[in-house]
Amino acid sequence: MALIRIADDNLVVVMEGLDKFWAFKSRLTIPLANVRGATVDPGIATDFKGIRAPGSHLPGVIIAGTFHHDGDKVFWDVKDASKAIVVELADEEYTRLVLQVDDPRAAVALVENALV
Amino acid sequence: MGRPRAFDEDEAVRAAVGLFGGRAYDGVSVDDLVAHLGVHRNSLYKTFGSKRGLYLVALRRHIADDVRPLLDALAEATDAATALRLVTSADLGLLLLAAIERSPVDEEVAFEVTAALDSVDRAIADALGVPAALATALTAAALGILLRGNPDKVATALAQHLGPLT
Repeated sequence: MALIRIADDNLVVVMEGLDKFWAFKSRLTIPLANVRGATVDPGIATDFKGIRAPGSHLPGVIIAGTFHHDGDKVFWDVKDASKAIVVELADEEYTRLVLQVDDPRAAVALVENALV
Repeated sequence: MGRPRAFDEDEAVRAAVGLFGGRAYDGVSVDDLVAHLGVHRNSLYKTFGSKRGLYLVALRRHIADDVRPLLDALAEATDAATALRLVTSADLGLLLLAAIERSPVDEEVAFEVTAALDSVDRAIADALGVPAALATALTAAALGILLRGNPDKVATALAQHLGPLT
């Protein structure tokens, strides 16, 4: 699971527990200016995710790390698809982040309200 | 700017107007959008940024496609009965849903909805030559009648009771 918070005009994503091992990353810091929006999207985990590099995809267990799909570089950290949110970025290493959060609706509101 | 989009953005936005106008914002999932708009998930996020991003584009499109023609028609109205009939028969589904469920929680939606309703008020005030407050009252009554399913004779009864306004 990922913890997200807003700090100093940045979106900070912290991977919890073993997720940082599976995802090859423990933290992401994205300037809010490069965040386009956030969306609750429990259905995304069943969509084609592309080629992982470097990442981990243990079906039914975890999707974590970097995936390449249609020229996009997507960061995943999802075990429970029902709690997945999508954060779309611009001018960043990643095109988008797919994160499992504790409360998807609250997380999306947190990001969207920080953008206004 | 990268590869050409593999979908008709115009058509997708119009389909989104229908979806968002037909059920609550939270009742439309990204799966629903992907299934009904003919857009891949990737393209949807790339083009609109988020579901909310698409919603705002759809709301503005609804206002351009459905509210603006209403304003043009209202400009020709010569009495309250005509103004009421025009508003109660307009397709304002998404605007009304937005006013009720999204305006209170989304400033940008609130701004669009308020501007659209203000423009209806102004069109009625200008066409009928009545004070702004009375025009707003007419819009409010018409939207209420529309929400009630435009029951028979209601708009007519109100117009008859009001009589000539100027």
